[in-house]
Amino acid sequence: MIRFENVKKKFGDTVVLNNISFNIEPGEFIVLIGPSGCGKTTTLKSINRLITPEEGKIFVNGQDISKANPVKLRRKIGYVIQQIGLFPNMTIEQNIGLVPKRLKYSKSEIKKITKDLMEMVDMSYDEYAHKYPTELSGGQQQRIGVLRALAASPPIVLMDEPFGALDPMTRATLQEEIVRLQKKLKKTIVFVTHDMNEALDLADKIIFMEHGEIVQMATPDEMLANPANDLIRDFMRKSSATSDPSNLTAADFMRTNAISVYKKRSIRECTDLMARQHIDSLLIKNDDDTYVGIITIKDVRKHGKSSGSIGEIIPNENITSDAGENAKDAFDKLYNSGDNYVVVLNNDKTIAGIISKTSMATAMADTLWGDMQ
Amino acid sequence: MSFFETYGDRLITAIQVHLCYVLTSVTIGFVVALILGILLSRIPQYAKIIMPILSIFQTIPGIVFIGVLFLYLGMIPATVIIALAVYAIFPVLKNTYTGLLDVKPEYIEAAKGCGMSPLQTLFEVELPLASPSIITGLRMSTIYTVSWAVLAAMIGLGGLGEFIYIGIASNNNELILAGAIPSAIMAIILSLLIDVLGRFIIPKGLRGAK
Repeated sequence: MIRFENVKKKFGDTVVLNNISFNIEPGEFIVLIGPSGCGKTTTLKSINRLITPEEGKIFVNGQDISKANPVKLRRKIGYVIQQIGLFPNMTIEQNIGLVPKRLKYSKSEIKKITKDLMEMVDMSYDEYAHKYPTELSGGQQQRIGVLRALAASPPIVLMDEPFGALDPMTRATLQEEIVRLQKKLKKTIVFVTHDMNEALDLADKIIFMEHGEIVQMATPDEMLANPANDLIRDFMRKSSATSDPSNLTAADFMRTNAISVYKKRSIRECTDLMARQHIDSLLIKNDDDTYVGIITIKDVRKHGKSSGSIGEIIPNENITSDAGENAKDAFDKLYNSGDNYVVVLNNDKTIAGIISKTSMATAMADTLWGDMQ
Repeated sequence: MSFFETYGDRLITAIQVHLCYVLTSVTIGFVVALILGILLSRIPQYAKIIMPILSIFQTIPGIVFIGVLFLYLGMIPATVIIALAVYAIFPVLKNTYTGLLDVKPEYIEAAKGCGMSPLQTLFEVELPLASPSIITGLRMSTIYTVSWAVLAAMIGLGGLGEFIYIGIASNNNELILAGAIPSAIMAIILSLLIDVLGRFIIPKGLRGAK
């Protein structure tokens, strides 16, 4: 389906692709992975001629693409980018129908395609088709980005870190969806990522690249069993460490967006902040960023006056945990203490984040989900 | 005899002539600027040199430019229209150029990746995304031109400037105001009309975002 023969590409004096050769069979889900600058994106963009290599040949469907019209070639290859790239001046339907429109599909056909595709990802046509991209959430936008790539039913779809900018939960859902779509539509997918977990979950075959060369091309199982070099082993280890629940630490589950204030801030400012952020407690820290305690809105009320600094109020002694502490121990603490959360501290006693009951539930659901798959 | 009985007819003619100058020259200037802006945005490496040179022309006082043009072309409306059109070009040109250059590269890449030709990308993605900026340029151009058109009277070609010049020469405040107030109102009304135009031209999806 896609064949690279001794492909070379330089940007200035740097060699980005050094004699790349590989073959992709129809219907395969290929993931290109490697450290940044390894040439994975360049490889991807060579397939639809967004980048033209200096040497070597690339065949798509048996055709040497250097002889193809790039515009026509790209209409037969779906393309999804990390920044989503839905056109803000077009509605969702217009975005999805972009390639079919170029290929002179009729209006009713485009409508049908849009409807069917949106149904596949559980988005209602009536509700969303006439909205503009900015009215959708990031996850919904990237769903549409994927659908746009599929709209003219191209046999090949290229994806350049499509889920990189999404939060972990949305990413997981979209990963499942893409696997489901691929099984159903039997596309050949070439997918770039730097996340080994993603590669292991999605790929039929992983191509691991480094310094513009292919280090290993293998199925996930094979790569797990026999990584070709230390770098791959390292990539694998990092990802398998996080997927084994007994190795998880408190740092893996904490929310890092907890709001903290220095103790010299005035009480007034702090209550304003709580009201603005819709929260009922704040983490208090010393000038050197070390953790002092937690103050809730109740404490402020008890204190009575709104003048003075927040440091005058005696903070609660909330339970804390070290960032490196085993996640299960941190959860036990949380469960047995009756507090709403555990404050996670770094080695130097600065605030790393908090673990709440919600983040605990999310973590457990993730583990369960992983087991069920 | 009231002011309007004496000057009413002449005032209406002056307003019509003034408006005529503004509309013709802004239209010509806009078209030229749009084309130039698009061309320059295709060659940003040269545009970086060309744009500052063009902006120097902007600093030549209108009165000088109209005077010079008058020497070559004589006392015909074309003199005024050409001069005003030249001045109308710059705000639109600058806004078209920057508007097009500000289109995020991801949209251009997505358009390419979707198999859009460079022309399709320009008309269906780049220009719509740059349209808010282009409309702003058009509004600036129009407002400036309404005030610059006053210079037409300097070479005896009418417009509201006539009242202002005669008023200044004869120390008649009524006449100055009779020229100044309608041109101010004209500027406001034209600017409102451009807002309405913007509503039709600027894609709906962009308005929520800004």
